[in-house]
Amino acid sequence: MSILEMSHVSKAFGGSKALSDIHFNVEEGEIHALLGENGAGKSTLMNILTGVIPADEGTVTFCGKTYPNPTIAQMEAAGIAFVHQELNVINDLTVADNIFLCRELTNGLGLLRRKEQIRRAGELFESLGVDIDPTMLVSELKTGEKQLLEICRALYADAKLLILDEPTTALSNKEIDHLFSILRRLKEQGKSFIFISHKMPEIFAIADRYTVLRNGEFVSSGRIADTTPHAVTSDMVGATYVDADVYESRELGDTVLEVRSLSGTGFEDVSFTARRGEIIAFTGLAGCGASELMQTLFGAMPAVSGELLVNGKSPRGSIVSFMRSGVGMLPADRKENSVVPDLSILENYYLAEHELSHRRPLIRISGEKKRYEGHKEMLRIKADDCDNSIGSLSGGNQQKVFIARWLNIGADVLLFDNPTQGVDVGAKAEIYRLILEFAKEGKTILINTLEIPEIQKVADRCLVFYEGRVVKEFRHSEVNEHDVMLYSTNAAETEA
Amino acid sequence: MKKNKSFGTVPGKVWSQYSFIFEMVIVMVAYAFTIKSNGNVFKWSHIAAILGSQNTCIVGTMALGMALVIITGQIDLSIGSSLVLTTGVTIMVFNVTNSVLLMILAGLATGALCGAVNGLLVGLAKMPPFVVTLGTMLIYRSLTLSVVRSIDPAISGSSSSQFAMNSKNSSYEFLRMKFGTGKLTIGGFSVPYITFVFVFMVILFIILSEKTKYGKSVYAVGSNEKSARLAGINVTWVKVSVFILTGLMVGVGSILQACKIGNVTPASSGVSYEMYAIAAVVLGGVSMAGGKGKILGVIFGALSYTTINFIIVSIPSLSVDIQDTFQGLVLIVVILVQTIGPVLRESIRRARKKHQTAK
Repeated sequence: MSILEMSHVSKAFGGSKALSDIHFNVEEGEIHALLGENGAGKSTLMNILTGVIPADEGTVTFCGKTYPNPTIAQMEAAGIAFVHQELNVINDLTVADNIFLCRELTNGLGLLRRKEQIRRAGELFESLGVDIDPTMLVSELKTGEKQLLEICRALYADAKLLILDEPTTALSNKEIDHLFSILRRLKEQGKSFIFISHKMPEIFAIADRYTVLRNGEFVSSGRIADTTPHAVTSDMVGATYVDADVYESRELGDTVLEVRSLSGTGFEDVSFTARRGEIIAFTGLAGCGASELMQTLFGAMPAVSGELLVNGKSPRGSIVSFMRSGVGMLPADRKENSVVPDLSILENYYLAEHELSHRRPLIRISGEKKRYEGHKEMLRIKADDCDNSIGSLSGGNQQKVFIARWLNIGADVLLFDNPTQGVDVGAKAEIYRLILEFAKEGKTILINTLEIPEIQKVADRCLVFYEGRVVKEFRHSEVNEHDVMLYSTNAAETEA
Repeated sequence: MKKNKSFGTVPGKVWSQYSFIFEMVIVMVAYAFTIKSNGNVFKWSHIAAILGSQNTCIVGTMALGMALVIITGQIDLSIGSSLVLTTGVTIMVFNVTNSVLLMILAGLATGALCGAVNGLLVGLAKMPPFVVTLGTMLIYRSLTLSVVRSIDPAISGSSSSQFAMNSKNSSYEFLRMKFGTGKLTIGGFSVPYITFVFVFMVILFIILSEKTKYGKSVYAVGSNEKSARLAGINVTWVKVSVFILTGLMVGVGSILQACKIGNVTPASSGVSYEMYAIAAVVLGGVSMAGGKGKILGVIFGALSYTTINFIIVSIPSLSVDIQDTFQGLVLIVVILVQTIGPVLRESIRRARKKHQTAK
């Protein structure tokens, strides 16, 4: 019997369709994997289900009742719980306090019945086979335990259907096994799960059925037992297309960057070399360690062991010494890590260069403006007045200002961490065109991106990361969405 | 729709960026009226008194450093106490050496040291500035108190409760009478000498904050620390350095205190100066959230604050006890206007839009 049935669900944001005519149903007592690439529409669908955003069309039927316009409160009361990827537990309260948050047990005077709460939390944990002390502070729990706590909290509220959004991202293998054994037990008790994950081994280990979305459309659905990781991956990426007209192979120069068995936070034992004029792409699922590696190559995070040589020297310590060796990094999450909101476009541009030219402490505005105009023309930045606030520019143009920031220090190793995040399609294409131009000029470029079509457009080589290690290297001609996905989800390993 | 752009016009821009000037003019006019209602004539000497007041010059000078600290998103509660400590040292060095140069150097060095202690605890030990400077606020004053109680009166220059400039020293006449309380008269307008020191410091800090690479990094750290770090800025150093600069300004303040007042009483001098300095900075339009504000505003903030004080003092029916209440109220109202202004503007804009679409 279906516990949840969503049919003909459509949703558009502005003019672009996020979901069109989606069918999705979950049986009672099953674990249903919801699959799709980034931007396939999984989160939109789940947001509609939980009442966060309204659907344009379609119906949601849960436990036999139809909800034409579900709201958050309604769906919570009906028994749907969303366990988010970023944990929503409160670190400074105890485990029991977290479970009873907003539904505290109180006595006649309105005071907490703490002992009763602890007793009931203990009972709940026992019935689920969870080994957590209800009196502990949440901050003392391991990530896996916090995940379990959040699931327990949902169950205490009598949830019938739990949405688990990439629940294993932060867990160790042992913790994952533990989580799965609990999920299986709950399944036998009749609870249902929607399991969102990219990791094929897990999906094939835990899920009963699956549904694949691609570009906001329903692609396939069926029993896990009847399919293979290969088939599912094909469904996720669809017919692969290669937009090859921009790429051309270049003569590569001397080695500029040498990384020898480098380890740090989030990645282990990574080795590669990059030559002048080369474009190397890093890819992998969120949390695969590529972004952390990139930050370590810029000195923003410390390396634990291994060797790192830029132009034959190994920069030490601060970011500035990496900048001196000619490294520049465009960090992920522009708003958080690049934009200085109270400064102007020009100030945002020259900020980095000033750290290298401390000896001349005064700012010569005319000289700064001249250099800015040069880079503005080169990168085709669309901005009226460089004294305007950086916030007045579109995402794509802001990103170009930050690229110009590194050209301004004459960086010849450019690290791009997810450079096309939050920029429109036109600006995306332009950023990749620029990357190819830089490479032609002899700069070395590393790009970390999850978007495989982009890699196909520009990269000479592609390193695929899985849980902090490089699991596969592809040459330009070998890169295709299907194979890259196979390695980044570690599906290749599962099939072998 | 195009009409709504009028908020971006020149007067609008001047209003939003230089509102501290309008504030000061309003306060000055209010002061003129108060004096008139007391039956007196508002004269230049009233303005000269504001310009030369210790609330303008001494607190204002220290507020320059405070402004940088606040722009980086931090706070320094210790400046009142470090002023007392630093002035104590300044006066003792003068009394012992009779050297103007050594006295100035001692003042600057002691101030910088007080600031450096704050800065290192905040920057290197990563402690919250509020707590660190609250601690040093207690320490600096009590250290000075214990010294003044036990030191030889020949060095402290006074009884057991004060440090005072030794009037027998040969430079005393110059420092106290000529410089500290003297005025420069140009065409009938007289301006106290120490006001020029303050104005000079303001100019120095305007250049520092707007024309130097260091100044931009201060704003960047306060605006978005993460972005600043990833642009190569040494965030720790910037955070430490603004405390040291504040300390140097305390040093300048201590020299002005020694020359203008001639003494310092550890138990009572400089009490609440940190609050007055914060008030001047905030009245000058610097955001407590960091990243925003002009140093030029601090001079107007300090002047406004002093004038508000003068108004309150010159209303005969107000007792001394109630003065702080009014000072506090004025401060709250000004901040209220600053925070509510943009919200009001936005709701007016929305209402207009609604009105237009309704048409």
